Amino acid sequence: MTTAEESMLRANAIGTPLTRLDGTEKVTGTAPYAVEHPVDSPAHLHPLQAAIALGRATGIDTSAAEAEPGVLAVLTHANAPRLASTGNGELEILQSGEVGYRGQFLGGVIAETPEIARRAADLIRVHYERYEHDVELRADRDDLYKPEQVNPAFDTDTAQGDADGALASAAVTLDATYSTPMEHNNPMEPHATIACWTDGELTLHDSTQGVYWTQAAVAPLFELDQQQVRVISPHVGGGFGSKGIPHPNVVLAAMAARLVPGRPVKFPLTRQQMFSVVGYRTPTIQHVRLGADEQGRLSAITLDVVEQTAKVKEFAEQTAIPTRTMYAAPHRRTSHRLAALDTPVPTWMRAPGECPGMFGPEVAMDEMALACGLDPIEFRVRNEPETDPESGLPFSSRNLVACLREGARRFGWHDRDPRPGTRRHGEWLVGTGVAASTYPVFAMPGSQATIRATPDGRYAVRIGAVDIGTGTWTALTQIAADALEVSVGEVDLEIGSTTLPTASGAGGSSGINSWGSPIVAAARTLRARLDEHGGTVPAEGVEATEGMPDNPHTSQYAMHSFGAQFAEVWVNADTGEVSVPRLLGIFAAGRIINARTGRSQLLGGMTMGLSMALHEESVLDPRFGHVVNHDLAEYHIATNADVGSLEVDWLDEHDPYVNPMGSKGIGELGITGTAAAITNAAYHATGIRVRELPLHPDKFLR
Amino acid sequence: MDTRIELRVDGEQRSLTVDTRTTLLDALRERLGVTTPKKGCDHGQCGSCTVLLDGRRATTCLALAVAHAGSEITTAAGLADGEELHPVARAFLEHDGLQCGYCTPGQICSAVGMLDEAEAGWPSSVTEHGEGGAALDESELDDEEIRERMSGNLCRCGAYANIVTAIREAANGSGR
Amino acid sequence: MDFLRPTSWRDALEAKAHHPDATPIAGGTDVMVEINFDHRRPTSLLDLTGIDELASWSEHGGKLRIGAGLPYTRLIDELGDRLPGLAIAARTVGSPQIRNRGTLGGNLASASPAGDGHPPLLASGAEVEVESVRGTRLLPVEEFFTGVKRHALASDELISAVHIAPATGAQQFSKIGTRNAMVIAVCTFAIALHPERQRVGTGLGSAAPTPLRAIEAEEFLSGELADSGQWDSPRPLDDSVVRQFGDLVARAASPIDDVRSTADYRTHALGVMARRTLGWVWDEYRNHPSSTGRPECA
Repeated sequence: MTTAEESMLRANAIGTPLTRLDGTEKVTGTAPYAVEHPVDSPAHLHPLQAAIALGRATGIDTSAAEAEPGVLAVLTHANAPRLASTGNGELEILQSGEVGYRGQFLGGVIAETPEIARRAADLIRVHYERYEHDVELRADRDDLYKPEQVNPAFDTDTAQGDADGALASAAVTLDATYSTPMEHNNPMEPHATIACWTDGELTLHDSTQGVYWTQAAVAPLFELDQQQVRVISPHVGGGFGSKGIPHPNVVLAAMAARLVPGRPVKFPLTRQQMFSVVGYRTPTIQHVRLGADEQGRLSAITLDVVEQTAKVKEFAEQTAIPTRTMYAAPHRRTSHRLAALDTPVPTWMRAPGECPGMFGPEVAMDEMALACGLDPIEFRVRNEPETDPESGLPFSSRNLVACLREGARRFGWHDRDPRPGTRRHGEWLVGTGVAASTYPVFAMPGSQATIRATPDGRYAVRIGAVDIGTGTWTALTQIAADALEVSVGEVDLEIGSTTLPTASGAGGSSGINSWGSPIVAAARTLRARLDEHGGTVPAEGVEATEGMPDNPHTSQYAMHSFGAQFAEVWVNADTGEVSVPRLLGIFAAGRIINARTGRSQLLGGMTMGLSMALHEESVLDPRFGHVVNHDLAEYHIATNADVGSLEVDWLDEHDPYVNPMGSKGIGELGITGTAAAITNAAYHATGIRVRELPLHPDKFLR
Repeated sequence: MDTRIELRVDGEQRSLTVDTRTTLLDALRERLGVTTPKKGCDHGQCGSCTVLLDGRRATTCLALAVAHAGSEITTAAGLADGEELHPVARAFLEHDGLQCGYCTPGQICSAVGMLDEAEAGWPSSVTEHGEGGAALDESELDDEEIRERMSGNLCRCGAYANIVTAIREAANGSGR
Repeated sequence: MDFLRPTSWRDALEAKAHHPDATPIAGGTDVMVEINFDHRRPTSLLDLTGIDELASWSEHGGKLRIGAGLPYTRLIDELGDRLPGLAIAARTVGSPQIRNRGTLGGNLASASPAGDGHPPLLASGAEVEVESVRGTRLLPVEEFFTGVKRHALASDELISAVHIAPATGAQQFSKIGTRNAMVIAVCTFAIALHPERQRVGTGLGSAAPTPLRAIEAEEFLSGELADSGQWDSPRPLDDSVVRQFGDLVARAASPIDDVRSTADYRTHALGVMARRTLGWVWDEYRNHPSSTGRPECA
């Protein structure tokens, strides 16, 4: 049996800053995204959406729409295909006139042009019976419930020792509540699909984070075998979780296409429609309690989270998960409680769980450090666990302290005056802050890779992976080249289709881990077969297919990435305006496959974290159940002018246990902790502790 | 109501029929199959649909096709000189000023238009007012100016830091 | 939807007279949003971009006449030295792409209480020239705005130009938003010194259903400056004067809570912006009583 060290891939192409292999197509705009695939005589779908938050459509008058020239069909629950019952209340649309949330699809118009479809959809008259809706999340609701587990399969609650007792006897305690708002993923490419039925089979050109995930969700709804649904998605304009599992737009497109068999139906969502049908990050309310002794050693940590789900389908964000791993304390407790509301279904948004869950607790650590009279870095170091606090497993690698130390050195932390509100630059109050980052190492089962060597010296690597901007095209080519011990120029990678071997999707920062491992396994098998042929490729070529090898270490080690983020924040003393001139992130995430695209992943995460800290908040109107600021003029994401100096680096971290590449996944790590570092710096600048995101100017006026 | 119009797109004369309600963006994407400008918001807020319209950067989602009959449009694809990438596009590639790539053609057109504006001395809202008003001295196109001038193009992947580097390098490379 | 594209101003007025429900469109940056979002379904559009004279400006009788179709970027570039307050505001309108096409006339027609260009027009005492086949009217800009997104145009009238005197003293504009660029204002404030008539002009945005002047604040400050002979021999302003001015500006506002901010914050911020911009223009006036440049400030 080979040891972990021996099975690790020797890096040659891995680690180099190879430029994106799909870069030329992207800078010229010629890489085809979902609805940009050329198709013959497409029809166009415009949806009909519920104008009430709860109730029933008692009558839908489609006559005027049907009479419009150029209209091919009008889809409602009256003529929609019957779907198999799969227990997914989000996807099983148009099976009745019931309305579970405002904006839910009630039908659509299929027409010769997008303009006609839109105009005709507007002519449809819907009569409703309204029921009283309930869309407000509050921590004091009496109907909060405990989900069976939280996303994807974590325990809802955990407890060790006697947290309440330890808090009662602690020398220093903190009891504070933090909140994060509803946020929308808003990838730049709106969700988009071309659906076409031919001979009872369905082809979807879809903007998705997982071609096989979409296939797996759609096929049973239409009672098809998996292979009767073909999903194609070579380029995806971002997803950030919202294109992970398919949303009702894919089902509506497939239903509409059923009414015009043989014709491809195009259905790109508008930005405004995205605010009601493709998911969002739940608002969270995080009650944190910490207890410590005089030396600043934590004796107790509790985190009780309240958040929302939808009545039509449960999604339970795992917000308390990072607290189970971050710091040592003998007495600890975490819990999640949900309010089920008449809202759209929340979903994954970049680092679900870890992103909101590293806000409250990391601000609390800053508050507690001050209460203990310790520097926030020293306080974290003092509470560094030797093993994973809850499972007791050793860490496969954990370099949080090294990240904090290296970051402190690079940022110039050493001479920081801890007193808040004492530095001024003109009318601006200046402060600095720090917070930790973490994200688990996930690997999803089930992926397969096929590699075929041909006598012309080429290696065709095929796997149904996707590239949502993460650099999959490039990184998997580098992994394949090293596993095959050839140059990247000899590798032809194919991804982005269910015609390729099965693969998990891009989610949980697991892509490279889950797709790279079977590629390495297939390459090793292929090389063994080539050896059998004396090292030459026979005329018919040589092929090998391997799946995801079992990793025995996953049950022996706790596997996580870590990082430290530093922020300099200026807050205007008169207006409360907040500006972030400087951010630094130092990470330890195993081996970085591509230094160029990997850096971009971490920069991107921190940029979205800055956006979360300063700007993002979906405002739900409780009277109507819709998001008021449902466009990019009012739902602010950071612009170029909001990002100042932004630096990223990583430690060389060697981890032979995670997978043969030694990679941990970096798509989400960067967004965790950013908002806390900025909030902590804003406190240092002003002396005002804001515990609710975003950091809008009015919160800094006394 | 349908109208026949002519457009010059990336150096090619194109003739098409549009509904009077059709935006220039939809005309390009749906009628001409020119999908380089992207659709992201219908609102002029994301900048993904930016092209050079008669030489100036403009968001095509806020332009009616019929109102621009006869105009000259350059997309990111048309900036390339045959196989040779435009220097700004090359800098985006080199400095990884992109991730998912969806906002990228708009960013690049915007950057090219922006460099022209800066060369003409047009001030931005961060340009200091000197005697007799504000004008940009070419040497003053620093990172703060680039960030402000590129703020009409959103990037959700968060490539801004690399976009600024790419544009700075491209500007320097062209002798600025 | 009909599409009318006159090539002369006369034809445009005739078209508007025949199609009073036609929606005029210039840069499209407001109208197209309404069309794309189905907020408006005009039966016909009146495209004014084919009328060259509308996108030009001229000067006579000591006043500038800015064509309603002049894009912001040209206004900034060509008139920024003579209309510094308006130019500073114009540089914050939308995004660079929007400024390349958006026009003062178009934003006036939208009459948004948050329009960035409106406060400097108020502070400078600008007039809006509106025209129909029946004739021409000149409206003081504060009479032009009649409510949230409502204006004083008759159904057959078009905005032809804005008349505004070149700056004779320092002018400033301040905007607060919740991000650094491309932001609809939480609130805005414009100030203009008019030493030749010993008056101070103001304009407030996102502070009430319409852009408005803080008349009491103007009266107070103009009076203070005149009484103390400061126009002729300017001295640093007393803190109490600056504070009172800020309070009066804040008091002129009747803001609301919305997704961008709260009424309380807006009231507070208007006071801050009033004090801040007054500081800037007064410093400048003291240093260069006749120049119109902007001091170096953050």
